[in-house]
Amino acid sequence: MSGYPQVLFKNRQPDGPVFRAAYEQAGGYQGLRKALQMSPGDLIDLVKKSGLRGRGGAGFITGLKWSFFPIDKPGEKYLVCNGDEMEPGTYKDRQLLLADPHQLVEGMIISAYALQAPVGYIFLRYAYETCSRNVERAIDEARNAGFLGTNILGSGFDCDLHVHRSAGRYILGEETALLNGLEGRRPNPRSKPPFPAQSGLFGKPTNVNNVETLANIPHIVVNGSEWFKDLALTVDGAGTKLFGLSGHLNRTACFELPLGVTLREVVEEHGGGMRQGKPFKACLPGGASTPYLTAEDLDVQLDFDPIERAKSRLGTAGVTAFDADTCMVAVTRNLTQFFARESCGWCTPCREGLQMVLWLLSRFEAGQGTETDLAMLKDQARNISGRAFCALAEGAMGPIQSLLERFEDEIKDHIRKGQCPFR
Amino acid sequence: MQDLLSQEQIDHFKAKADAIAHPHELIVDVLRAVQDHHGWVPDAGVELVAATLGVTPVEVEELATFYDKIYRRPVGRRVIHLCDSICCWATGSEALAAHLQQRLGIAFGETTADGLFTLLPTCCLGACGDAPAMMIGLTTYGTLTPEKTDEILEQVRKEVGA
Amino acid sequence: MPKLTIDNREVTVPEGTNVLEAARGLGIVIPHFCYHEALGAVGACRLCAMTFAEGPVKGIQMACMVKAQDGMVVSTTDPAASELRAHVIEWLMMSHPHDCPVCDEGGECQLQDMTIAGGHGLRRYRGLKRTFVNQDLGPFIEHEMNRCITCYRCVRTYREYCGGTDFGAFGSRDRVFFGRFREGRLESPFSGNLVDVCPTGVFTDKTFRFKSRFWDLQEAPSIYPHCSLGCRTIPGGRYRELQRVRAGMNPETNGFFICDRGRFGSGYVNHPDRPRTARIDDQTASVADAIKAVRERVTTTIARYGPQSVAFLGSSRASFEANALLRQWAASCGAQMVLFEANQRRDLAARAVVARVADQASRLADVRDSDLIVLIGADPLAEAPVLALAIRQAARRQARVVVLDPRPVALPCRLTHLTQTPAQLVSVLEALRQDDFGSWPEAQQKTLKTVAKGLQEAERPVLIGGADLLGAEGVAALHDTAEHFATTDRSVGVMTLLAGPNSFGGAVLADSGPDFETLCDDLQEGHVKALVCLQSDPFREARDPAKSQVALGHLELLVSIDATPSLAAHRADIFLPARATVEMAGSYINNEGRLQAFLPVIDPGEPIRVSGQGDHPPREFSSTTPGSEPVADWQLLAGLLDAVPDLAAVREQIARNDPRFAGLVDLQAESEGQRLTLSTAVVPTLPKDPPETSAEGTLPLLPTTAFIGSDWLAHLSTALEPLRPEPQVWLHPEQASRLDLAHGDRVVLTTHLGHCHEGMSPGEMIVCRLEKERGR
Repeated sequence: MSGYPQVLFKNRQPDGPVFRAAYEQAGGYQGLRKALQMSPGDLIDLVKKSGLRGRGGAGFITGLKWSFFPIDKPGEKYLVCNGDEMEPGTYKDRQLLLADPHQLVEGMIISAYALQAPVGYIFLRYAYETCSRNVERAIDEARNAGFLGTNILGSGFDCDLHVHRSAGRYILGEETALLNGLEGRRPNPRSKPPFPAQSGLFGKPTNVNNVETLANIPHIVVNGSEWFKDLALTVDGAGTKLFGLSGHLNRTACFELPLGVTLREVVEEHGGGMRQGKPFKACLPGGASTPYLTAEDLDVQLDFDPIERAKSRLGTAGVTAFDADTCMVAVTRNLTQFFARESCGWCTPCREGLQMVLWLLSRFEAGQGTETDLAMLKDQARNISGRAFCALAEGAMGPIQSLLERFEDEIKDHIRKGQCPFR
Repeated sequence: MQDLLSQEQIDHFKAKADAIAHPHELIVDVLRAVQDHHGWVPDAGVELVAATLGVTPVEVEELATFYDKIYRRPVGRRVIHLCDSICCWATGSEALAAHLQQRLGIAFGETTADGLFTLLPTCCLGACGDAPAMMIGLTTYGTLTPEKTDEILEQVRKEVGA
Repeated sequence: MPKLTIDNREVTVPEGTNVLEAARGLGIVIPHFCYHEALGAVGACRLCAMTFAEGPVKGIQMACMVKAQDGMVVSTTDPAASELRAHVIEWLMMSHPHDCPVCDEGGECQLQDMTIAGGHGLRRYRGLKRTFVNQDLGPFIEHEMNRCITCYRCVRTYREYCGGTDFGAFGSRDRVFFGRFREGRLESPFSGNLVDVCPTGVFTDKTFRFKSRFWDLQEAPSIYPHCSLGCRTIPGGRYRELQRVRAGMNPETNGFFICDRGRFGSGYVNHPDRPRTARIDDQTASVADAIKAVRERVTTTIARYGPQSVAFLGSSRASFEANALLRQWAASCGAQMVLFEANQRRDLAARAVVARVADQASRLADVRDSDLIVLIGADPLAEAPVLALAIRQAARRQARVVVLDPRPVALPCRLTHLTQTPAQLVSVLEALRQDDFGSWPEAQQKTLKTVAKGLQEAERPVLIGGADLLGAEGVAALHDTAEHFATTDRSVGVMTLLAGPNSFGGAVLADSGPDFETLCDDLQEGHVKALVCLQSDPFREARDPAKSQVALGHLELLVSIDATPSLAAHRADIFLPARATVEMAGSYINNEGRLQAFLPVIDPGEPIRVSGQGDHPPREFSSTTPGSEPVADWQLLAGLLDAVPDLAAVREQIARNDPRFAGLVDLQAESEGQRLTLSTAVVPTLPKDPPETSAEGTLPLLPTTAFIGSDWLAHLSTALEPLRPEPQVWLHPEQASRLDLAHGDRVVLTTHLGHCHEGMSPGEMIVCRLEKERGR
């Protein structure tokens, strides 16, 4: 399809998911067999060396996170898979689970072994019912094949996995809110420290990883860390990445591409260019919480570090592109409405501050904004950024800050004209 | 009680709650089961969940009112969740919203007179590549146009037998 | 002890102190909402921002969430931090209804204060406000959600601290709603604390609704009068009407919270039947004339029958000073029949406590910090409600709680309940000392063994006993047990629940004096002809009221000094009206021997609401205030003794006569109080408490206390009516079935509505002691 090596999507079929037989035929569960021959410590080292970074948005180095986990601590420990993929513009985990659910299951068993956390929860969002069924079937198949349960493949390691279906709300994607959600408490984020590795689910050591992150694990175990690093086009990067394209592109689909492809390549080749040949204006490079990139940034390599140098974030690599006829004030208003609505209501800047920002943006969009409102938007943004309890409001500030930095003239145009110049 | 959840399901959840250390973790599951069975979760449903799991109604209500896919008010036989997040917005969800409201004769938050459809906005459904999208029940429909939406409504109407 | 610098000033604070508290120690108070000393820091409101320049954390941080550490350099005045604080207030005020003119919180509203302190003075948001529909939360709490700033203090207080289960946080984003699942009365006996912790007017005192503005209210520190714990309260009144009570703060006793009995149980002060005028032989008189008449008649009685013909009965409701003066008066008459409690069992148990009390007497603060709590014959929610809160705090920190009781005792925490018969309460203590549980059912043996082991191994164990059920013998056994398990490293704490706010004080004064049985005997035999009752009512309070009434029938002279419509006041030959606690200064000694002072809140007199017959102002005028005759009880006693009616002089004199009370001289109401130093070297010989007996084939009746209805003062408070239980009898299901009774059956006793409960001892019938009609 893309011409690049396919790792996570290698089994992807146009007509539905592959299950155990096909998965094993394609080399599935070889990673598990190999991993069980290794020591948990060696596995953690391997993942650390591979350079794998979390695919859920924050991009924390997975092996480093694992190395903080108290694998020798006696008592219950949990591995949790975060499948609450709810950030607008992000749909890659869904594609992965629609195509190849065993990959996640195998990744979880290996990770559970590496972390010595024998109970795993797979947390899936409400809208992903088909994914939940796929994963449940994969778990059943794995259990029947002896990949789950007690004494897996004669290794003496026991592991079981459970699927939890949520009931909506973006905040559940925050790992501590997700833990509260799993426990059946109000899903407000918890204060850190203590981190989940010390006190997570039910107060026990817990490791939380994203679906795509965990799905990469079997491949790293089978092919090694150097292979994984070499998949990326950047020197420091590692692995492929699922890029979910959306917005004003001709081809809005999910592609597995090496980390480090340029934005231009994504937009022009994989995305098939802008609809109706209109010029590219801007994009969210990695979901609704990532600051805009503009036409100036088309040659930025889409990997964690290069995008940060361009003052945005790789996030979830859900690329939403906007053409030149798009009002960025309206885009930002839409994004803010999402974040304000999805606030859990725990802390003031997020609960009330986002409503204030939404009110201001709506005024601009309706042509009622003033210079005073613009100054106010700036002081609101300054005081929300970095001041909220968790990352939700911080994420909401990504597009707002970049609107102020890159599209202030567009706001002023609204003020001057007393209406949206794009209508 | 039976119209909220079948006795088998109540027994199933009771047994499950007894077998685990933290029955609270089943609250969302039982709420969803009540909703599947009854269409929405009335006050008595919250109390049934609490009684089934041995927790307080307040603890159930704290979650039932938090999650947006638990309906604490009556809804039609099928709930249409129309995505209003950025990718769908960029590809025409506002026009689609107008079309749906006009076609169904209701505003967001309302139920059609025949009790068949309730129309609600939803945040991103994870169908951004197939925008604009909506979810009816647990089925997601993408790349919607007004014509395609009408066909889907007709099809759902037939399925429900209305 | 970390040392840090805040606004260029150095401060050293105890390990674990957060920076917000450290700043407060320097007198720098930074606005905050969600942080509360008793509830801890949760970092939700984001208001207490400070800038950290040096140290392990840098930049703007929420000071409540940062533990003070060595070398920190912190600025509270940094413009970025100040700007953030102003913004947080601006956000919190976005949907606020600005209804301060009609809000009962106005004037004592933290949101008002913090809005000013936070620097938000100009409203910029002009969008729509979010609104809510309120709930009827019952007779005590008014709900106005539109004022909410979502600090989560209420739910943290109600659910986490107090253990209530019928209140929660609903919804999400800017629509979080705090309330009940369905409308209705908040069930927790500590619900009123919502009023105190809410920093704005979401939860206000419904009984106080629209009565006064805070700045018009007269307030002073007082003491909770309905049990022996001595919780600090701050009553408020206006126009001679006691209008509300809020919790005072005493870290040694109640901490920050009180129970609803104390908060809503002050109606006795303004009770319509309260006798406010002195009386001589059914004729109203001036207080001065009545005092003169008492002195004359007592002198006459002594002249005719001798000094032993006059008896004096103090009480746990009267101030310590008045009780002490009563004893002086008796001494000055040469009379020996002076006692301080009409209930024989309570009297002797309290004296047993005083005889044994020493350093191991536990404060409520010790209970909160304990790791093993064993309750023997104690029902905190009924006998001392705030103790239940203290126990819950210990349980939240994993303390084990064991209840040994005939009653099905409930607590707002996890507990192990082992049913004992009343007689077993004493013997189980001995069994614990002997580590021999052979006579206990097998099912209990293992647990009792772990209790004994726990008492050996726990670091901060506390034994809690109820004087009503334990009696003097049980109290002694409780102390024996504590001493038995004490080691050189740590003692075993003891807390005993007594009947009233000054039970301990009365017992100290009673020493080895006579008891009520002896008084009754002397009355029957005609030795005693006159009785002076100081805020006491032997007709009602005696353990056997029928017997007491017969004996009291022999009196030739009954003098009553009282602030309530008691039977003694009603029947007295001479009556002297006393002030209620909130109308005078004085002191009480609580169950751990803590001497605590209280100050006058209002002047006595019929509230304008009453004298104006609902109209305001009254249409008739006089130079005196109607109903203002009552005088402080100690002042009446000083008058009877012909002493100087000055509190300082009275206290000095009491302290001079008895060095144990030296602390009285400079006792401050705004303090934690002072523990008495009592010598336990000489244990006075106490009268023996006759054992309870019941006829063959009948069930012994076990009278117990209810949260509302058993306490005289709370009984006189109409606001508490909704909490008053129906008269009821409790039987074990097996016993009930033997009597052919079932749960909910009406039983022919003097009460109805039977309860079956497995948590109680099978051999008893439990009945709540509930006051009947008022006044007579």
